[in-house]
Amino acid sequence: MAIRDEFEVAAGQVRQAVQRFALGLLVIAAFGAMLVGKADTVLVEHARVLALDLASPVLEAIARPVAVANRTIADLKEFASLREENARLREENARLLAWQTAARRLENENEGLRGLANFREGPEASFITARIVGDSVSAYVRGALLNVGRKVGVASGQAVVTGEGLAGRIAEVGDNSSRVLFVTDVNSRLPVLIERTRERAILAGDNSSQLRLTLLQSLQGVQRGDRIITSGHGGSFPVGIPVGEVVETSEGHVRVRPFADFSRLEFVRVVDYGVTGLVGGSQGTPSTPSGVAGQRVR
Amino acid sequence: MKADGLLAVLDRWGRATLPGAVLLFFVLLTLAPLRAPYLSDALPLLPALVVFQFSLATPERLPGPLLLAMGILLDLLLGGPGAPVGVSALGFVLIRAAVVANRRYLVGVPFLFQWFGFCLLALGFVILVWGFTALWTWTAIDPVPALIQYVVVVVIYPLIAPWLARVRARDPLNVPEPSRGTARPGETTS
Repeated sequence: MAIRDEFEVAAGQVRQAVQRFALGLLVIAAFGAMLVGKADTVLVEHARVLALDLASPVLEAIARPVAVANRTIADLKEFASLREENARLREENARLLAWQTAARRLENENEGLRGLANFREGPEASFITARIVGDSVSAYVRGALLNVGRKVGVASGQAVVTGEGLAGRIAEVGDNSSRVLFVTDVNSRLPVLIERTRERAILAGDNSSQLRLTLLQSLQGVQRGDRIITSGHGGSFPVGIPVGEVVETSEGHVRVRPFADFSRLEFVRVVDYGVTGLVGGSQGTPSTPSGVAGQRVR
Repeated sequence: MKADGLLAVLDRWGRATLPGAVLLFFVLLTLAPLRAPYLSDALPLLPALVVFQFSLATPERLPGPLLLAMGILLDLLLGGPGAPVGVSALGFVLIRAAVVANRRYLVGVPFLFQWFGFCLLALGFVILVWGFTALWTWTAIDPVPALIQYVVVVVIYPLIAPWLARVRARDPLNVPEPSRGTARPGETTS
């Protein structure tokens, strides 16, 4: 009996020791995970993609009812202002029709001029439409999860657009899911053009709702209201996707408001431009303004 | 304990797995596109709230390895490029350890004390994640969004915590040590 008691006491002590060590071990394991993540980025990338693929069906199941609820609320809000909205749309429609005529005329003219100049256009872009099934928005990341992946042709680096303009680029791709990094993310750097002056610049995110325009040759040329479009430099992005407009120019920094409304995104389009990565340097790189103007912006 | 019927077994299993399942749900909810202003800001901190609340009641049903796995899953799902994977795991484990070590001050005390305890631990968690993310990506990350996140989660704590607290209403482990008798985890009092 005494032996048994002693054994139990010893066992209790061992258990206590393990429990005391447990915290240490867990902390070490967590640090280990962080170090492994730092050292072996490929492994982490695989793990992320796997987690994404596993979670996306669940998220899709959550996302649909949420989207329906959000839409219902938005619908109800819109009912209230239906009349004004209608009037506004009529007016806008009239204005857009005038633009359409202008665009048709310019397109014809462009085609004619291109024929004359023997100009080779860059590859045609095709689109993959995707539903946003998850927001990866926190204090540190601005992004979203899409329900399309490698199986339908999504690849890392492709542009993601909404009806209004550029939303971001594909950062990670799984078989049936992918992660978009929004242009507002702190890691986002985008080569852009200022539409009016054709000046090149880099548009950087900083996790806030506005973007920072940097690396400008001359700051003087930028005005409030200038439209910013993608320049297509560096490969897989098409030229001329609208990104945002300049809302603030003070000494040293220019702020840009993105056209895409990230708080209401539900569907986006992934632009498959044919060229991926850095391969297509010679194609589609505009050397003259005329080369850019002909690109389809839609 | 009597011989277990099917219902009793299910009951026991349900009780044992519920905290883990709730935690998993909140980890996944972090990514759900809720788009509710302010609330969606706080979503990434809700798993920490769950860990805190369940550590008060039933830390044995949230074993360390589970917290580690959930934290890593959260980091994998949420993280941007270069963000440290495992920092949430570290935070969860530390929250649980802190709660368990200070149960005296947190269990069976007025709600305000628990709220205060959560304020302190959540602040520690936010600073930990912010610090490691800044260190790992070697960028000066604006702390304001993280602080807003913190304030929101602290404010909604009283709304969510009572719901999570219901889970352990009849658990004998909630009573003080001496009056616990031979009760074991998962056993009901009736």
